[in-house]
Amino acid sequence: MGELGIEHFLFLSAALFIIGMMGVLTRRNVLIIFMCVELMVTAVNISLVAFGVATDTMNGQAFVIFTVSVAAAEAAVGLGIILALNRRGKSLDVDDIRALRD
Amino acid sequence: MPWDVIFFYLIGGVSVLTALGVVVANNPVHAGIFLVICFLNVAGIFVMLGAEFLAVTQVIVYTGAILVLVLFVLMLVDPDDLPEFHTARPVQRYVGFLLGAVLLLEVGAAILTWTRFAPEGTATPENIAFVGGNTQALGRLLYTDYLLAFEVISLVLIVGIIGAIVLALPERLGERTGTRRDTISLGHARGTDTAALPVGPRGETPITVDRDRAQPTPAMTRGLIMAKDADEYTTV
Repeated sequence: MGELGIEHFLFLSAALFIIGMMGVLTRRNVLIIFMCVELMVTAVNISLVAFGVATDTMNGQAFVIFTVSVAAAEAAVGLGIILALNRRGKSLDVDDIRALRD
Repeated sequence: MPWDVIFFYLIGGVSVLTALGVVVANNPVHAGIFLVICFLNVAGIFVMLGAEFLAVTQVIVYTGAILVLVLFVLMLVDPDDLPEFHTARPVQRYVGFLLGAVLLLEVGAAILTWTRFAPEGTATPENIAFVGGNTQALGRLLYTDYLLAFEVISLVLIVGIIGAIVLALPERLGERTGTRRDTISLGHARGTDTAALPVGPRGETPITVDRDRAQPTPAMTRGLIMAKDADEYTTV
């Protein structure tokens, strides 16, 4: 508790990731699920940077650059899918989106 | 207790609380605002870890671009299509919380028993300061060891943008997106907006319109009407 160790950051990352995971599992609103996925990505970024600091390398921070880029592309495509779904008059409830299953 | 620990608990506590707010908020706009606060605090965590460039990236890309995009989409979709939180099936919620608790225990055990076996890296604070700082060190790494991955990620971004454009386009070009709602505009009533022409003798001399002497008909001076549709006040 006295000294700020790497475990603090790893626990924070785990907490954020698990909160995001519970959001993905329990919510049904597509937009909220999207935000929770972004939260999980950010939690993993904290872990990557923390491991990089612990091992005195910059590789973790380079990985974070790539995950942020992929998250940006994912945001563009995911929000495009949400808009396309909404334009076709579909509900934004994940339980109602079953075009691929039926 | 040293100051950095106090600041860590402050920033981390706020980020965890706002992350919980994202999950439990009923209103998606509130969830978006909570997520903005959470990401700003995560940027603070990055500063505490010595990753200043990533902190700035976090603020610009996540809170500046992605979440603004989310809020825009939130405004574009029909709010009637968004499901409510409390209609979730209880079994879904219990399974979610159970899996979360199990995963937290598992990851906690992994973190507490973690030992470092990787060799010591060379990016010690002294070396980073020698290169010129965090941004310079990260740039050197990105443009040497990760050059191919860096080019590939730009390709991923371009493909993502093209995919987003294709998805957001209407199915046929020129088609109106969505259903047309009532548009209320002010305009002259149909058929009353033609100026009164002076009547000349038929077939003798061509009629020349004298714009100065053309008087408005009484129907034109009746004033503006409220039109609910474009067809009500435009001539075909």
